[in-house]
Amino acid sequence: MFLTINTDDARAIYQQVADGIKELIARGELGEGTALPPVRQLAADLGVNLNTIAIAYRELQKEGLITVRHGSGSVVASRTSNERQQSELLRPLRTALTELVLAGLSARKIQEIVAHELQTVTKGSAK
Amino acid sequence: MPMNKLILFYYVVLWGGSRLRGSVRRWKQPVVRGTDWFFNVRVQPGFYEGEGKSLLRRYRLRMLATAAVEAPIAVALIATGHIPYLGWLILASAIAVHVNHLFNVEAAERKARGFATPGEDQPVSAMLVPLETRRLRDYTNRTVERLIVFGSIFSVAWLVRFYLDSPSGHNFGMVFGMPIFLLYYQLGFLLMKNAVVQWSAPIPKMQAEEHLKAREERRKLYLHVADASRIMVTAGLVLWPFVVGAPEARRELFFKAHFVVLMAMAVIFGIWHEMGRNSVLKAALRANPVRMPDLLNAQPAGWPVCYQPATPTLLVRAARGYSLNLANRFTLLGAGYLAGFLALIMLLRMSQ
Repeated sequence: MFLTINTDDARAIYQQVADGIKELIARGELGEGTALPPVRQLAADLGVNLNTIAIAYRELQKEGLITVRHGSGSVVASRTSNERQQSELLRPLRTALTELVLAGLSARKIQEIVAHELQTVTKGSAK
Repeated sequence: MPMNKLILFYYVVLWGGSRLRGSVRRWKQPVVRGTDWFFNVRVQPGFYEGEGKSLLRRYRLRMLATAAVEAPIAVALIATGHIPYLGWLILASAIAVHVNHLFNVEAAERKARGFATPGEDQPVSAMLVPLETRRLRDYTNRTVERLIVFGSIFSVAWLVRFYLDSPSGHNFGMVFGMPIFLLYYQLGFLLMKNAVVQWSAPIPKMQAEEHLKAREERRKLYLHVADASRIMVTAGLVLWPFVVGAPEARRELFFKAHFVVLMAMAVIFGIWHEMGRNSVLKAALRANPVRMPDLLNAQPAGWPVCYQPATPTLLVRAARGYSLNLANRFTLLGAGYLAGFLALIMLLRMSQ
């Protein structure tokens, strides 16, 4: 199981790390209770500053996707413990849909894109 | 054969042979991928007829520098009859050879980059980093660990009982000196093993499988070296009671036998590791070298040491090569280990 980092990507490294872990959780590759590598290890593996990974983990913790236990590291949180409001969760989807509409795509095309992306993102999560 | 001659034989034949083998390997290393390459840098055609020739010569001369320092010291020790000190010389040389090689390769590659094939020396943009947590227990052979633990406990318990039977009749340094050092080496090799397990770096997305395989082969070899050394140390500890328990008249014979057994093990493990190196080389040749981007953006480091707690690496790039990061856990452990080693020598000397 790997995280992909791309230096050509406009997103900051910490954002790529957070997004990458989110994708792995969504796909079910990182199951509930799975331990994530310690901040120090991941930072050393990637060759980045400790704060970069710490920020990514903090973001994931803030979103309720991981829980940080002192002494035993970070683990993937239970999905039921994710108490974020639906409106908060829908906000990025709405932004993305707006972008697609503004780009001139038809509603049917957008539905196809969304269905395809959903399939990619959830691949393996039904296990 | 007197003990001094045994040590001399070991130094000249076995250590000399091993140094020669290592030197031949390092001599060939820049061109091991063919003449299109200088280490991991793809160079322009004609490189070895031009600037490459002097780069190669400089690399090889620097490589031999450690031997040029070691040889006169060894001659002086032998000529003045300080033959037992050759053991310390071997230890110091082994460290010096590896550190020198690390910096020598880095410097040679850095200079060769100026002659790299245009467009071939750009850092890759897409890379992968494994998300698994590497734990020491995942790389542990339980049978070997049990043998090491039980062998060490049994031997130490026997020695304690032997000493307590007649404390005034036995010399503390003679009974426990060697075992204390062996146990300390055991701790050192365990730390080394832990460092090898922790060691990682991103791999390029292109040819990811080949790069991962090459890395795991290398990790496997280093772990074998650490475990083989720990087995040797345990053998030395387990056989020590036979030496101290031997009748006074035959003790020297047992001591020599102890030395010979350990040397024989060193030779067997050495050959085994050489074979392991071949698989490492084969795996490495299947993966095309790439340059990884520097994502660290570390603060400018002084030379030769710096203190950067937020930087997770042991070495930080500095204006002159690399700087040792004193805030790194492994630097602290290494420094603590060396300090403990010196303290141990002093304590044992005081107890005699």
